[in-house]
Amino acid sequence: MDIDRYTPIRDHAAIGDGRTIALVGLDGSIDWLCLPDLDSPSVFGSLLDAGSGGAFTLAPDLPFESTHRYVEGTNVLVTEYTTPMGAVRVTDGMTLPGDDLAPFRELARTVERIAGEVPMRWSVTPRFGYGRDRTTIAVRHGIPVASAGKVALAVNTWDAGSPRLGPSSIEGRFVARGDAGIAISVAAQEPLVFPSRDDVERRMKDTAEFWRTWAHTCVYDGAWRDAVERSALALKLLVFAPSGAVAAAATTSLPEDLGGERNWDYRFCWLRDSAFTVSSFLRLGYVAEADAFFWWLMHASQLTHPRLRVLYGLDGGVAATETELPLAGYRGSAPVRVGNAAVGQVQLDIYGSLMQAAWVYTEAGRPIDGEVARRLARTADLVCDIWREPDSGIWEVRSEPRHFTHSKMMCWVALDRAIGLAGRGHIHGSVDRWSAQRQAIGSFIESRCWSESRRSYVRSAGSSELDASVLLGALLGYGDPHDPRMTCTIDAIRSDLGRGPFLDRYRGTDGMRGSEGAFLACSFWLVEALARSGRRSEASSLMGELVSRANDVGLYSEEIDASDGEFLGNFPQALSHLALIGAAVALEQMSSP
Amino acid sequence: MNLWSAVVGGLAGTLVLTTVLRAATELRLTRLDLPFLLGTALTASRQRAKAIGYVAHFSFGILFALGYFVLFVTLQASGAALGAALGVAQAAFAGTALVNVLLPIVHPRMGSGFSSSKEHTLLEEPGFMMRNYGRATPLVGLVAHVLYGAIVGTFVQYGSR
Repeated sequence: MDIDRYTPIRDHAAIGDGRTIALVGLDGSIDWLCLPDLDSPSVFGSLLDAGSGGAFTLAPDLPFESTHRYVEGTNVLVTEYTTPMGAVRVTDGMTLPGDDLAPFRELARTVERIAGEVPMRWSVTPRFGYGRDRTTIAVRHGIPVASAGKVALAVNTWDAGSPRLGPSSIEGRFVARGDAGIAISVAAQEPLVFPSRDDVERRMKDTAEFWRTWAHTCVYDGAWRDAVERSALALKLLVFAPSGAVAAAATTSLPEDLGGERNWDYRFCWLRDSAFTVSSFLRLGYVAEADAFFWWLMHASQLTHPRLRVLYGLDGGVAATETELPLAGYRGSAPVRVGNAAVGQVQLDIYGSLMQAAWVYTEAGRPIDGEVARRLARTADLVCDIWREPDSGIWEVRSEPRHFTHSKMMCWVALDRAIGLAGRGHIHGSVDRWSAQRQAIGSFIESRCWSESRRSYVRSAGSSELDASVLLGALLGYGDPHDPRMTCTIDAIRSDLGRGPFLDRYRGTDGMRGSEGAFLACSFWLVEALARSGRRSEASSLMGELVSRANDVGLYSEEIDASDGEFLGNFPQALSHLALIGAAVALEQMSSP
Repeated sequence: MNLWSAVVGGLAGTLVLTTVLRAATELRLTRLDLPFLLGTALTASRQRAKAIGYVAHFSFGILFALGYFVLFVTLQASGAALGAALGVAQAAFAGTALVNVLLPIVHPRMGSGFSSSKEHTLLEEPGFMMRNYGRATPLVGLVAHVLYGAIVGTFVQYGSR
């Protein structure tokens, strides 16, 4: 395995259009893109198999140094290459449709000369269907077209040299003396649209303008504005516009343990994230996105209510059959999985997430109708019935179910929010029963999930292991963050699970081989817990450290190797950015008089 | 054949179709709610959407019955079997084109494959054969439309006597 062929996860930036996301490496290679949608099979997947995954490369044809950044306030990426013969700037974006006839999907890359005359080389090597489908390459109306099944892509070029067709690739060379461009237009079940250069350039301009306008409507204006704005833009990329769902990440099977088996498909929407998602959108002023997500949440969960699935497809479906693909995996981290078997797990915390989402939503003045209210009340009734059951917990362990403390805390939160919603007149139901069961859950947690010897809430009833997820108890209102038990827990978790500024998720077994990196969301939860327990200075200092560990364009994956800062896990990761937003907002709230 | 029998048949058929869909929803077989889908094209209020949607749904039910009536007149035949056959055709058309393709394009609050970051979708698109609303949706839709067609066919057949 030649690991040098894999661009580090950290060296990627994301561009997207609300339907799918492309990852662009610092070396100019687009090595992840699923078409036509984020949860479709990959067409460029060299991130998961450098040999046969497929890629779209565009870079100087001689040794270079490169830097990249987003155009301010946008999801349009600029990469600048410096070579001995001069410098060029490449701007990458997935265009958003306007009033004109636009391709179903369009990825545009424009090349601008900065200095000198730089020889450039590009190559489009599509591998449809995760590399399993046979690719046909042909020329139509003078434009190279690659297709497989119902998906086709055209490679439209302007002053980018004459395309040469290989058996499975389309390539070209040119010298960047002026401006050049390459746009991939994609069709699925429709005729291809061949865009003109003017059309593409206009769409790129309009796309940047849309993102700038969207970013500037963010109402957060605190000390962490840049990080929050970038997180919001990353989150917006993960919003699947056709449904309003938010994908947990743009990728599948980027490893949590390099070379290991902890490789999962995150192109689904996790109910676990729902409260954070609604809360973040509303706190930042993105009411329309919160509405869309909440409507999607209510619609997607309709078939299974009052029981909830752990995750749903971006189209609202519940099918997520887990299979393995014959790909090498990122730096040899096999297996590469699509689908996610966690869909069949029992996780009690999701009921708390749903009720918290409804609580935050209604507290922001957003309406819920009678049918949704009845469903929420039935959810609370269900929690009363099932909170005593063991579950797989927020971390989806594949070992035997347990009585996870965080799950019990979230059941407490579910009933507490149900009582609150009833108190506000939003829902009607058995408030006395909810109150009694909330008290019973509280008693269980305080008697079975607190360890005097560890001076901390522990991972599960009767255990002595610690778990960072119990920090969410402090964030979501299970008890007072200033309560001695909670402050002791914060200290114990920081001491036991801390690795520099980062936190591991937990200690103990989880049914899988190998280890994993530090979990970024937990690290931001610690910031928020410190802030909410009155330790603002500590929280602020830790926040500064964590923000400085983002990659050069401000993005985070799921995990990080605490020893060298390398990213691990799927990327970019919604939960990491949601936790950053939560921590920044908490710091701001705690500093306000 | 009597035009009014088609109108009454359309009303009765829509009543049964709606009941079947509603029952299937309660049985967790589908999330398809046609009055809701139609009503939310006009308002974002869920309550008002359902009220408006039922009026629109029954109006469409009568319109389709009139379409059936034209076909019955053209073919010089009617009855439950022919009506049921037309119901199969209508279910196929609804699942593959009418609700799957046309509705997302004209519905201001429904997503489609063309929706981008610029849009704020409140309703997910139905997908091919409306399977996004549950895997049993094609079957439920077929049964509901066959019953609708059979009822319209029966009303027109007996209304002409």
